[in-house]
Amino acid sequence: MGLDLSVISRNSTVLLGGFYTTIKLFALALAGGLPLGILLGLGRLSSRKWIYYPVSAYINFIRNVPLLMVIFWIYFALPIVTGHNIGRLPSAIVAFIVFEATYFGEIIRAGFQSVKKGEMQAAYSTGLTYTQVVRYILIPIGLRRVIPSLMTQTIVIFQDTSLAYVIGLREFVRASTVVNAREVRSLEIFGFVAVVYLVICLAGSMISNRLEVEGE
Amino acid sequence: MANEEEVLINIDDVSKWYGEVQALDRISLEIHREDVSVICGPSGCGKSTLLRCINGLEEFQQGDVIVDGVSVKEVQNTKKIYKLRSKIGMVFQHFELYPHLTALENITLAPRKVFNMSKKEAREKGMELLKRVGIPEQAEKKPGELSGGQQQRVGIARAIAMDPQTIMFDEPTSALDPEMIRDVLEVMADLAEGGLTMIVVTHEMGFAKEVADEIVFMEDGQVVEHEGVETFFKNPESERAKEFVDRVLVHIK
Repeated sequence: MGLDLSVISRNSTVLLGGFYTTIKLFALALAGGLPLGILLGLGRLSSRKWIYYPVSAYINFIRNVPLLMVIFWIYFALPIVTGHNIGRLPSAIVAFIVFEATYFGEIIRAGFQSVKKGEMQAAYSTGLTYTQVVRYILIPIGLRRVIPSLMTQTIVIFQDTSLAYVIGLREFVRASTVVNAREVRSLEIFGFVAVVYLVICLAGSMISNRLEVEGE
Repeated sequence: MANEEEVLINIDDVSKWYGEVQALDRISLEIHREDVSVICGPSGCGKSTLLRCINGLEEFQQGDVIVDGVSVKEVQNTKKIYKLRSKIGMVFQHFELYPHLTALENITLAPRKVFNMSKKEAREKGMELLKRVGIPEQAEKKPGELSGGQQQRVGIARAIAMDPQTIMFDEPTSALDPEMIRDVLEVMADLAEGGLTMIVVTHEMGFAKEVADEIVFMEDGQVVEHEGVETFFKNPESERAKEFVDRVLVHIK
């Protein structure tokens, strides 16, 4: 029995639909996770205890539970708390933002800490406000230094999105299992899925490496 | 010579501790408008800390600093501190330029964001300042591409871009190669003639003799002597200042 690659093209609609959902989940997780991560990074460096302690507790808690649990909690617990079901994709997006922001937050905190205190003092000495110093000095300098780590984490998020299959979200991996259930062509179908992830993640690491070289 | 006119900055009985360690011990000083005051003394005596208390970059536990009628203690944790700081330029030992911005952008950032100056106007002004410090051709370079002396001149241009009343120098030449020190000191001497109030922490006693009106000698967080520049070099009161003057004057020759 040889490989029958036509199974991919025959089911391209379902597979593409799944891929599209994966991309959407990934893009929105990133769009929400990164800004929230910046806020968490700032919170971790705050001298105000009422900011520092809750932020630290949140980060330490989320980083020490499996992502799978967070996806479950948001999916099952949020409807109970809010009173209405928000659907699979939105709850997966929320779960990823809540989870990934903590990882981004710790990377970004390290970036912020690498900014020289003197550079901040220089900015303050010209009359800039806290918000302006954060926006024009701390974020541009601090984020630049951790771009390679942020890229690596971004690639991890892309791979992690497949975990959303546990709440029945038909993203790329789940779509392929649906197709496989009908076609029973595991080797071709899952091989194809693996290649797609591989190509995208390799491209991501290559960009990351280039940024790292340029950064130096 | 000591200017008997208006007191611009009044440091009144300021004490500061870092934990158990006392950094400033009941400092009282009057800085007169348009005077050049040089603060000298052994390292670790609190000179830099004192500068940072004047513009509220560091908090102090006792006393007060009045800058042009405004109490630093009162505005320390309010938005008014930003306005006070914009009137006091500061130049740092290690330049502290923003590494992600060009020389010109380093200068224009504050005027654009604090005064809402247009980009065009700020750039024109920035170029003027770069000409004044003698390096207009370096405008588009990043700090990493400039020599130490050039970086410090950008630092000075950045500090005067806000048209401050006062400019504070925190050991502006200590991190420079000897051949670059003179360039920077010349720029500073020019500024002094322009009628700025200057507070200069430095070990360059040649500069102090030429340019300063008053000398403040500090040791162990205290002001040991504060007097006109001639008196200080010819006939210092305290033993400690005498020793210090003897040492540095030998060094100058």
